[in-house]
Formats: sequence, C-alpha cells, structure tokens
Amino acid sequence: MERLDRLGWTAEVAFESYGIRIGVRVNRPETLEHLTTLFPPGWRPSPGPVVDWLFSLLVGETQGRVRKFHMLYAGITRRARTLDLEAALDTLEADLRQIVAAHARRRVFVHAGVVAWGDQAILIPGRSRSGKTTLVHELVRAGAVYYSDEFAVLDSAGRVFPFAKPLSLREGDGIRRCRAEELGGVSGGPPLRVSAVILTEHRAGARWRPARQSAAAGLLALLGHAVPIRLRPEPTLSALEKVVSRAAILKGPRGEAEPTARLILERAADWGRGAVARAG
Amino acid sequence: MKPRAREAGLVVRELEGELLVYDLEVHRAHRLNRSAAVVFQGCDGRTSVRELADRLQRALGRPTDERWVRLALGRLARAGLLESGSTGPDVAAGVSRREVMQRAGRVAGLTLLLPAVTSIVAPTPAEAAASCVVNCSGQAFGTPCSNSNPSDCGVVCVCNGAGGCVLAADGITPCP
Repeated sequence: MERLDRLGWTAEVAFESYGIRIGVRVNRPETLEHLTTLFPPGWRPSPGPVVDWLFSLLVGETQGRVRKFHMLYAGITRRARTLDLEAALDTLEADLRQIVAAHARRRVFVHAGVVAWGDQAILIPGRSRSGKTTLVHELVRAGAVYYSDEFAVLDSAGRVFPFAKPLSLREGDGIRRCRAEELGGVSGGPPLRVSAVILTEHRAGARWRPARQSAAAGLLALLGHAVPIRLRPEPTLSALEKVVSRAAILKGPRGEAEPTARLILERAADWGRGAVARAG
Repeated sequence: MKPRAREAGLVVRELEGELLVYDLEVHRAHRLNRSAAVVFQGCDGRTSVRELADRLQRALGRPTDERWVRLALGRLARAGLLESGSTGPDVAAGVSRREVMQRAGRVAGLTLLLPAVTSIVAPTPAEAAASCVVNCSGQAFGTPCSNSNPSDCGVVCVCNGAGGCVLAADGITPCP
C-alpha cells in the first residue's frame, strides 16, 4: 500500500452508501466529477476521513506516441490495467455496486429486477444476461413503476427498496443506459411488500404459463441470487423468508418480453390480493 | 438403525411443511419436500426406520412403508444432513425412486409426495452478481453455468474448476 500511496494523488472523494464508507482517489482532479455518476444510487458524501474501502484510479497520460495504462486498484489489489478509460470506469462502477451489495448494513441485496404495481412489488430474480432487464423495461413501458434492474434491496421485514440506477439495455454487443423516464415510465418511491416472485428465462416461441411453486422452492431460488448469503446467512434467510411467505412464487419460461409483461400486469392485482390475504 | 439428523452448523426454516436447510459449514442450501422434512425432523437417534415410516404415513395421510424412509435417508445422507455413522452402509446406497414408485403403483401426484431433497451451492457475493457462462473453460469452481437452460445457472449448475459444467448438488454429474 505504501508504494501505491506514494503515487501522485491529487484529489479524493468519500461517500457513504447503505452504511458502507468508500473512498476514491485520483491523480486527475477533473475526473472526480464524472466519478460521482458511477456511485450507487442513494449515495451521500461521507464527512469523515476514515473509509471501509479505498479505490485508487490512476489515469494514464498520453505523451506523443507514448500511451500509459489507466490503473485501478481496490485496496492494493489491481482491478484494471487498460488503455480504455471507460473500461476502467466500468470496472470501478461494478466494483462499487458489488461491495455495497455484499456488505450493506441492515439490507439484503438480491440480484433481481424489481417493479411496482399498485402498492406492491414484483421481483424477477436473475443473473446478468438472463433477460430480466428486458422484461423490466417492458413492464415499465406498460405502466409499472421502475425500482431496479439489478438488485432487489430488502430490509429485515422483506420490504423492497428502490435501487433505481439507469436501466442497462443490451443492444447488439453494446449497452445503452436510459432512465425509466426516457421510456415513459417513472422511478420508484417507498419500500413495498412483494406480491410475486417470477422465476423465468427467455425461450424462443414460449408462452408464459407459470406454475405455482412452494415457498421453500421460492426461498431456494432467491437464495441462489442473494449476494450476502455466505457472509450473513441468518439475516439473509430471514429477509428472504419474509418475502416468500407472502408472495406468489411463479416459475416457467417466457417468450418475448412485451406480451409477457402484459400477462404479468394482468395478473398482478390477483397476486397482490393473495399476498395481503396470506399476510393477514 | 436409528438415524440422527445433524444439528450443529445448520440453519433450518420451516415453510408450509417443507424445510429449507442451510449448511453453514459448506454453504449449501437444501430444500426438503414434505416427506423428506418429516423424516429429517424424526431423525433424533431414538426413532427406528419402522417408526419413521409410521410417522410419515400419518403425516401424508396415505400408505407408505420403510422404503419411503430409506429413500429419504439416502437423499438426506447424500446432502450431508445426517450424523455420520447414525445410518447403516445400505442407506448411502439408498432406495431408488423408481423402486418406490413401482411398489406404490400408479397414483396421481405420487412423484410430488416422494421424498426429495433439492440442493444448491450458495453463491459467493461475486458469483451472485456474475454472468452465466456457457463454457467453463478457464472458469473458477462455482462460476454459474448452463448447457441448455439458462435458469439452471448457479442454482442447478456450476463450473467444476476443470472446464466442466456440473450439477451443483453433487459437483460431478454433467449439467443437462
């Protein structure tokens, strides 16, 4: 760390997100303003000098024909060495979210898309490239309120909070980021109870005809996407248990996202009533 | 034989008659359907297989026999949920589902009643957020993978660290 500390750091910023204090230092002060756009939703400046995690971004300079690598470190671990600054920043953004998701205090992060319909939430667990963002996108276009396309953020009572970063829509080999408002939708507000957990993946030609699953099956499925399960098993299980004990658990392949979104929203009110009945 | 269920290092949650068991030692999670749950909860080291079969029959409200219990014990032992040495060596071999079904005859919904244990390897924080891979070459053990069905990713199938995509439950059987 001492060798890293000796490099010419000229600016730094510290922020807090979900109880985690993170610092980022850079060698080019003009980079700082852009960095803040990469911070997790809901971040706020941290007043103290002490942080839990420290990132160091060394922006490589180009002098004539000589190009220097951009270097990114998390603590003393090198996370990126690249001539593409955007790639280094993408790594930083992903690492920041990952740290918050794994270590957040009093919240459980589950890899899932989330929308609200009425006063309840619908969870769509899935990994990257499982098609959940596409489905969330269509749900928002159809009138659902956007909460997240990456993480369901749960409290100990099983309520889900918004994590409304811009949607990352895959277009060919690239990713286009857009806010829910650009899709004619709105981004979410208060924490909500979950009325349905939808376990699905895209299958060409399929029509979404989900089968009801047991609460234990739902818990097992959610657990497979729960970021802190190994770090904090008991509180993670407790939060997930609260979700599955009232929500409808539905599993089955889907076809195209647009008709699936329509089917989901047609049935969402029933799930909401069922969830209220189970909770009562 | 009076099997005993493990207690240390397990977090157990009961949901509508089924159990979710999280093994803190190896970070595996197991879903026990109702039949497997009844047997697991009855494994106190004092109850015989015959008594467990009676208990299972009362819980399910349909005829069962010792084969059902042995099937459950085999599944529970394979998941590491029984105290080692509390069951005989024949339990590890277990009784096949097919054998039990042949004896039970054709009954609607029988396959749902048979003892079943579904297991997954709990993801590390990085794995939980990781993309699914279709080629495990060069991928670390535990990386989520799928061969045909993306929903298998991580929950059912993981890379074995040697280039293969295998069932998470046993770490050996190739993923379908």
